[in-house]
Amino acid sequence: MATMKFLCDTKRCIECNGCVTACKNENDSALEWGIQRRRVVTINDGVKGEASISVACMHCTDAPCEAVCPANCFYKTEDGLTLHNKDTCIGCGYCLYACPFGAPQFPKRGAFGSRGKMDKCTFCAGGPEEDHSDAERQKYGANRLAEGKLPMCAELCATKSLLAGDAEIVSSIFRERVAYRGSNSAIWG
Amino acid sequence: MNRWFKQLGLVLIVALTTAFSAVSFAQSAPAAETEGQIWSQLKAGATGETTSHGQFHNQPINTYDLRLLDVRSDWLAPGLMLALFGMIIIFVVFIKINGISKLHGGFSGKMVYRWSKFDVSIHWLGAIPCLLLILTGLVLLSGRYFFQPYIGEGMWASMVYGAKQVHDVMAIPFMIGWALMTVLWAKNQLPKLYDLKWMMVVGGYINFGPFKGKHPDAGFANAGEKLWFWAFAAFGLVISASGMLLLFPNLFEPSRTLSLIALILHSVSAIIITAFSIVHIFMATVMSEGGMECMVSGYCDETWATQHHNLWFDEIKENGTLKYKDQA
Repeated sequence: MATMKFLCDTKRCIECNGCVTACKNENDSALEWGIQRRRVVTINDGVKGEASISVACMHCTDAPCEAVCPANCFYKTEDGLTLHNKDTCIGCGYCLYACPFGAPQFPKRGAFGSRGKMDKCTFCAGGPEEDHSDAERQKYGANRLAEGKLPMCAELCATKSLLAGDAEIVSSIFRERVAYRGSNSAIWG
Repeated sequence: MNRWFKQLGLVLIVALTTAFSAVSFAQSAPAAETEGQIWSQLKAGATGETTSHGQFHNQPINTYDLRLLDVRSDWLAPGLMLALFGMIIIFVVFIKINGISKLHGGFSGKMVYRWSKFDVSIHWLGAIPCLLLILTGLVLLSGRYFFQPYIGEGMWASMVYGAKQVHDVMAIPFMIGWALMTVLWAKNQLPKLYDLKWMMVVGGYINFGPFKGKHPDAGFANAGEKLWFWAFAAFGLVISASGMLLLFPNLFEPSRTLSLIALILHSVSAIIITAFSIVHIFMATVMSEGGMECMVSGYCDETWATQHHNLWFDEIKENGTLKYKDQA
């Protein structure tokens, strides 16, 4: 099977936040107030070396969140995605500490560190429930992958900066871009 | 006329080319400066601007030593299992071979005042939560490796959720008990020279070989109890401080890396406190005949006092603080 990956081409990202909006809209049924699965970060804003990058769960192969979770609620899909089971999640927040990308987010910030069930990008692939069931939509949002479609954020990216799909295809597209740009300064970063 | 135009055109081309190359030089120079730097800046943990209000969302990449994760799964999780069940097995085997420490001449029936009612209550204020914290902590640290494979997903989910809730709530009385015991009892726990001799004969608890029948000197607390006290004081501090970071992230706002380090320190302290707790419980309930009474009524049998804490007994007899329980 494929190994699904995201890649954000910093030379193309124009910080339009279209991916953020697309994600919020597509997964609206699962997102509690204040939860944002994807965000665009601009470093060196307004100065030399400014670059924007769209960040969400990177679906690591050897995922730190999965390693640290006391409830062991994470699982790998056959598409190489790192998904989680909200029924098993205990809201301890360890995955947020372990994740290099700040992908896990929690709906509450209460006393005793009570946070509610963790939410993160699912690569628009839903959760462990039956595909397109109500339970899946309420907890995880869209399941576009089951329909043979790619995540909404990448599909709606106006500059095709954000790429999603099988790692080999994504990297061949990017390699082609770099070759076409024909300069060392055109590679990622 | 034609030639004049041609010459003008040539001048224009030269001028435009120069201008273009000047412009492109001006552009390529800073581009060369940032070449490959975005990636290194991101890896170094650069923060930036974002419209998101999510936690830590202004930093694309947070890097830390990933070996922290392996330490937790490969060493600390089995370590806590060993500290609990391994120590129990070792102690059961030890008692089977060695036997317990009996009171010579049996109980005297005269009960000596040893702990106040307040002392007994702060002991249990710390002890009961401590036991629950050990069991729930075991589920949280080692459960996914040792329990989850053998039970259903639904049962596991409620088990680990229950463990988290109990662990969170019990932390508070445990910390109060720990603080009171550490502060109020420290003066009786200062190391003395005769503690070394106590250690040399393992407290006289070994019933064979050269150790048999030895009864080393001990004051109010013996050397083993002192070791436990100071280990509990020190690792209790580490486990409380790291636990507070994990329990009240909104109050202390620790960084993600600090939280992970707290998690490791919390587990290391838990392993040490658990191992000591097992020894402590076995000593009080099984190993030392008459020992448990101290933390039930606050009084100990006179025979127990002279056998295990002779210097203390001599001292209170001498200075007149010796107090017997009223015989009903």
